[in-house]
Amino acid sequence: MVKKAKKYIFPDRCLISFSLVGGLIIALTVLALMNMAVKELSDIPHILKVASDAKVIDSIVLTMGAGFNAILILLLIGTPLAYVLARTDFPGKGIVESLVDLPVMLPHTVAGILVYILFMSRGLLGAPLEEIGLSFEDAYPGIVVAMLFVSSPYYINSVRAGFEKVPLHLENVARTLGATRFQAFIRIVLPLSARHIFNGSILAWGRAIGEFAAVIMIAYYPMVISTLIYYRFTTGGIKESSTVAFVMIIACLGAFFVLRYVSRFLGRYDDRV
Amino acid sequence: MIEFDNVSLTLGSFSLKNISLTINEGDYYFVLGPSGAGKTVILEAIAGLHRPDSGSVLVRGEDLCNKPPEKRKISLVYQDYSLFPHMTVFDNVAFGLKMQKCPKSEIRMKVDDILDRFNISHLRDRHPLTMSGGEQQRVALARSLVVNPKILLLDEPLSALDPLTHEKFIRDLRSLHKEQGLTIVHVSHSRQEALSLANNVAVIIDGRLVQEDTVEGVFNRPSTEEVGRFVGIENIFRGRVNRNDDSLINVDVCGVNISAVGNYPDGTEVNLFIRGEDIMLFQTDGAVTSARNTLEGEITDSFHVGAVVRVNVDCGIPVSVLVTRQSSEEMNLIRGKKVIVRFKATAVHAVPVNMDAAEI
Repeated sequence: MVKKAKKYIFPDRCLISFSLVGGLIIALTVLALMNMAVKELSDIPHILKVASDAKVIDSIVLTMGAGFNAILILLLIGTPLAYVLARTDFPGKGIVESLVDLPVMLPHTVAGILVYILFMSRGLLGAPLEEIGLSFEDAYPGIVVAMLFVSSPYYINSVRAGFEKVPLHLENVARTLGATRFQAFIRIVLPLSARHIFNGSILAWGRAIGEFAAVIMIAYYPMVISTLIYYRFTTGGIKESSTVAFVMIIACLGAFFVLRYVSRFLGRYDDRV
Repeated sequence: MIEFDNVSLTLGSFSLKNISLTINEGDYYFVLGPSGAGKTVILEAIAGLHRPDSGSVLVRGEDLCNKPPEKRKISLVYQDYSLFPHMTVFDNVAFGLKMQKCPKSEIRMKVDDILDRFNISHLRDRHPLTMSGGEQQRVALARSLVVNPKILLLDEPLSALDPLTHEKFIRDLRSLHKEQGLTIVHVSHSRQEALSLANNVAVIIDGRLVQEDTVEGVFNRPSTEEVGRFVGIENIFRGRVNRNDDSLINVDVCGVNISAVGNYPDGTEVNLFIRGEDIMLFQTDGAVTSARNTLEGEITDSFHVGAVVRVNVDCGIPVSVLVTRQSSEEMNLIRGKKVIVRFKATAVHAVPVNMDAAEI
């Protein structure tokens, strides 16, 4: 395998000043984390108590699990859409693209209301689905569907960018060699965009587990972590809620670190296409 | 065997306009044209990757517009080779056979066999992007031939190769065509490649077919001024026939009379094509020859073009002459010198200006 040569650039004035200005945003994040960490770490037993609280653990698992579930659905239905958008031109494509992006632009409460009135027990889709035993209001499927709605643009757009990066010529050659479009997609396009698919999934997952407004509107219970923190904030105050938040931060940092690390081993070829 | 019947196709800002051409079985057919003229699109249309907006593409008499590329048995090699970067050389070459559901043992045998034939067995387990252009080229060709195609389409296959590899590859293509009788359609902007490989040539300019002929026909008897320029004829003049002496015509080009072989009535507007190497250059006291056309002029410019020297002479009309380096030095052909140019009437190729063609 070819190892990427690290580029060491001799810093000039421009780079140094850009780094200093850009560093402010990192500094803000670090300051916020440190500020919290110092307070929290002064009371280790309290952290351990909160971290081992079954409610907190359940909520974190529920949040990450529901996010994961939303991503699985996106993989199945978002991937084909991303391919169509990457490879074809059709009248009204601009409209489809705007619809894909819509959840990014909407205030989360608006997204929440949209999802709620569609999937509530009396909703257009909620009612018939409840008939067959799938209820969304205050239930796990409600959380998943809210997360799916708000995270879909992040997944679709990054996967589409990945597909667009795969040269059309590769697909064309595969087809002249006897592959159908679907076979060419599975054997050429998918492997070459594996990293984009993975990174798009991480991004969308991150977006999904961070969702609060859209989720509480359809499912206050079971409590996702955002709901739990907000609940503890309004009932128990800062001390209660900030420790839960701190535990969540640790869990997220760990999860994302592992995922980013894994992504380095995926689809190494797409840099070199 | 391949027929384009009045094919039009628009792709974004680019379009092919009413192209009709015929490629026979066993042909080495060249599609020649400047960059951006739409040559690649023609190949992709033959392969079935684009459906024409109108007209039809017939292969062996069968209209293929509804047959997908995977069922056509037509292989395509792109200019960038388009090897699958995530597969080894072996897997790249085996791809087509896998798609055809060949048994594994047969795939291994066929692939190893063709890798051997192309002298690339040592690359078997390498990944394409670690290889040189020439190596990638051979892999791409092996990959396209292992499936035993009926037609091979080549898109500027030689443009990215260094001169040595280039020459070797031309030899390979020739033997492929001669020994296996494979029908090859080759797209390029290089006249040199066309001269060394083609039987038949189509010249495409701006999405239009301007001339379809044998390679000699296109290079010696261009149908329009445009084709003449593109195939590199140094002297192209437009004039009017003012005398016709039974297969010898006299053409008035801006007041200069030129004799040419041809039989067109008085008053016909013609293009005259004269290759620079068919014109002789003499000192003003030079010998008399049998050449019918003799013009006097002054050298305006001279420069090296490869192995020869191109001398531009103002004889009332600008004439370009190709001479060897040696005679250029011996005759001291410098700017401002007075010289005589002579050429035979048979060296002048006269083609009537077809108003339709001229408007292209």
